[in-house]
Amino acid sequence: MDIQNTQSQMRKGVLEFCILSIIRQGEVYPSDLVDRMKAANLHILEGTLYPLLTRLKNAELLTYRWVESNSGPPRKYFVMTEKGLAFYSELERTWKELADAVQVLTQPATPPATEN
Amino acid sequence: MKKVININFQGRVIPIEESAYDVLKVYVESLRRFFANEEGRDEIINDIEGRIAELFGESLKKGSTCITEEDVNNVINSMGRPEDFEGEESNMQSQLGGQQEQKNNSYTETDHGTPRGRLYRDTNDKMLGGVCSGMAAYFRIDPTVVRLLFLVLFFGGGSGFLLYLLLWIILPAKPLDHVSSNRRLYRNPEEKVIAGVASGIATYFDVAVWIPRLIFSLPLVIGIFSSFISSLFWFEFNPFPGFIFGSFGGTLFVIYAVLWAVIPEAKSASEKLEMRGEKVDLNTIKNTIQEDLEGFKARAEKWGGEFSQKAKEFSTEFSSTVNEKSKQFASEASAASKKGGSRLGNAIGILFKAFFLFLAGILAFTILVALLGMIAGSVSVFPLKSFFLEGFWQNFLAWSTLVLFLFVPAIGLLTWLVRRIIGATAGSKYLGFTFGGLWTLGWISVVLLVASIAQNFDAGAKDKGEIKIVQPSTNKMTIKVAASDLRVVSGKWFKMDGLLSLDDDSIVLNNIRVRIAKSPDSLYRVSYVKFSNGSDENTALKNMEAIKYSATQEDSVLYLDRGFKLNKGSKFRNQGVTVTIFVPVGKKIEIDENVSRKLNHFSFNSGRNDYDWDDEWNNEGYESWMSNQEYIMTPGGLERVKKIGEENDDISNDEDSEKSAIEEYKKSREELRKEYERKQKEAEELKKELDKPVDTTRYRYQKVAILDPHISGPAPKSKTIENPEIIEIGSELGRFSLLSFQS
Repeated sequence: MDIQNTQSQMRKGVLEFCILSIIRQGEVYPSDLVDRMKAANLHILEGTLYPLLTRLKNAELLTYRWVESNSGPPRKYFVMTEKGLAFYSELERTWKELADAVQVLTQPATPPATEN
Repeated sequence: MKKVININFQGRVIPIEESAYDVLKVYVESLRRFFANEEGRDEIINDIEGRIAELFGESLKKGSTCITEEDVNNVINSMGRPEDFEGEESNMQSQLGGQQEQKNNSYTETDHGTPRGRLYRDTNDKMLGGVCSGMAAYFRIDPTVVRLLFLVLFFGGGSGFLLYLLLWIILPAKPLDHVSSNRRLYRNPEEKVIAGVASGIATYFDVAVWIPRLIFSLPLVIGIFSSFISSLFWFEFNPFPGFIFGSFGGTLFVIYAVLWAVIPEAKSASEKLEMRGEKVDLNTIKNTIQEDLEGFKARAEKWGGEFSQKAKEFSTEFSSTVNEKSKQFASEASAASKKGGSRLGNAIGILFKAFFLFLAGILAFTILVALLGMIAGSVSVFPLKSFFLEGFWQNFLAWSTLVLFLFVPAIGLLTWLVRRIIGATAGSKYLGFTFGGLWTLGWISVVLLVASIAQNFDAGAKDKGEIKIVQPSTNKMTIKVAASDLRVVSGKWFKMDGLLSLDDDSIVLNNIRVRIAKSPDSLYRVSYVKFSNGSDENTALKNMEAIKYSATQEDSVLYLDRGFKLNKGSKFRNQGVTVTIFVPVGKKIEIDENVSRKLNHFSFNSGRNDYDWDDEWNNEGYESWMSNQEYIMTPGGLERVKKIGEENDDISNDEDSEKSAIEEYKKSREELRKEYERKQKEAEELKKELDKPVDTTRYRYQKVAILDPHISGPAPKSKTIENPEIIEIGSELGRFSLLSFQS
């Protein structure tokens, strides 16, 4: 069993939830999103972020608007839709349940269970 | 030193190092492949490109003049490589739940790209309909191999074409992704002599480059060596059977051209990697580009300054001009066809290119062979040189022509060929200059030599004479060539007109021509014209007088000399003899076949076409003539006498339907014979009349007209008077003025 693999899978599981929670707080540019996650010590590759955002947008959870930039091509700023908000609160509820469960289960020093 | 190019990236112009651009291109390509089956692929790529463009813009704003490889690598590191995405991606999808149903990620699922399932035509990688490429994807092999197989089928009877059409119609089209870790066959542009076919093959099979090169150039090499060997000996000697060079060589040429047209050139870094069979990922791409750069550095250092560049240009001048020309044409052709936008047009462009370089190769080879031939020829002519050349200077010029004009370019071409085959880059800068300079000297000596020899042929002289013969007892004369014990010189490379034999101190020439004319009287006569050239009239006359030519007679057989001798000290100055045999009307002549075989310039003029007859060679009034056949002189010229037996042989093969034609033919032959007799009688009567002294010119004129009905129009009367008088006198002078009258 590869420890790194397990670790990254654990991280990835919550990644989407984290991204959505950042976007919920307000309009965001993907690059800034990466920076904020980095600051919270959660690393993500930009190359991974773009397809994820596109998928979320195609699922109508997100929408975006173009903003002119003076250092390059126009930027895409993402905001959450109503549907996205509902989706997010679903995820938030699941996360809380999961966190509680993990909290309870980790007390008697059992090995962490993989999510999903 | 790095080349910087400007690219239009996300709507902005970005200056970027070429090597960095290659890395970037490969990276974007790998992303595209990674997201191939993603729903919003173009949008994702676009977003990523936009971000990259923004990062580039920032780095340019900070003051860098262009985007370097390092910048690109930094960007790629922060964006992440497809192989880094793998784990994350697959998990994301399962989280998002069911939004991407069939995600065939080529990187994660298999090592061999699209799973084997259905046979499609591949619209992504096609030359015509994508049939070959689709089959290659199905069988997971290199599309080029399939294309070659189809070509073989096509040329082997056309079945390949039908099969292709059928598959084109039947198979559904689908864009397929080729992500193959297998090697692909590419033309290698890094180590190329002509198109990189050989070195591409070498890379594919992992063998040294010179092996396929040697195989392709084998016919060339064999051809050169065998011609060289055979030229060293005077006799025909070929150690290799002809087919090796003939069909085998030609086939290899064609194969090369076909491979050239079919195999794609490895242009981008990822294609070069595919060619070497390594997995395409960014690290190996980086390594390749670094190798490229190091190779380039090394080359740049090797060439050093400007001068060596020039020397290189000079030494490869031949190849480059030919290559440039054909490339230019090919690019024009392919540009024109690209405008049409069809892949077929592109293929035609490639074929044009192949064709033109094929021609260039053949041309170069032909020049080399011609040079070798000339060298061999001049070597074999060398024993003759004392008969050609006069004085020190001509000898000197002849030597320098041989060495500088012929040997130097042959060695130069050989050197060039060998260097190209072993793949050496241009060496010493003096090499090209030296070869060029020496060859220029060679040209100068050729011109001087030709001019000075031509001067020796400046003046001409000729003389006429008659060989006395006894009239044959029968009505027929046979012409033969006297037997001689001369050694006959004939080599494969060397066959000089008129030269018969050669030993240390003399040569025998057989510049002898035979002509048959109508005799003005009832006697057979033989006359000759000797002629020669020289630097001035006196030498020409002397040369001409030195010619000893005659004939011997045994009753009705006339033996002509086989040639005449030039002794040591005398020079060859186009000496020659024309023999004219006058046959009286009604008499027969037969020419033995050894005449046409043994005399150099046997030409036959029956006298029927009595137009401008030149005493020298200039008149080429050949007529079909059969040796060992009897001919009879008629007032209208020579007629062939057909033997009756032969005639029957001819007819016996034929069917009844032609019998009437035979009858007609016999009848006409009878009539013809009767007419001969009649004409003969007339001629005899005429002669009797002419023997009498008669005055009226009108009367004579008419008789002459009967004698020769082919003189049309009013002939000058003075000449008709002259004619019989001369015959009466019978002087030689008279006869030759008769000759001039006939002409």
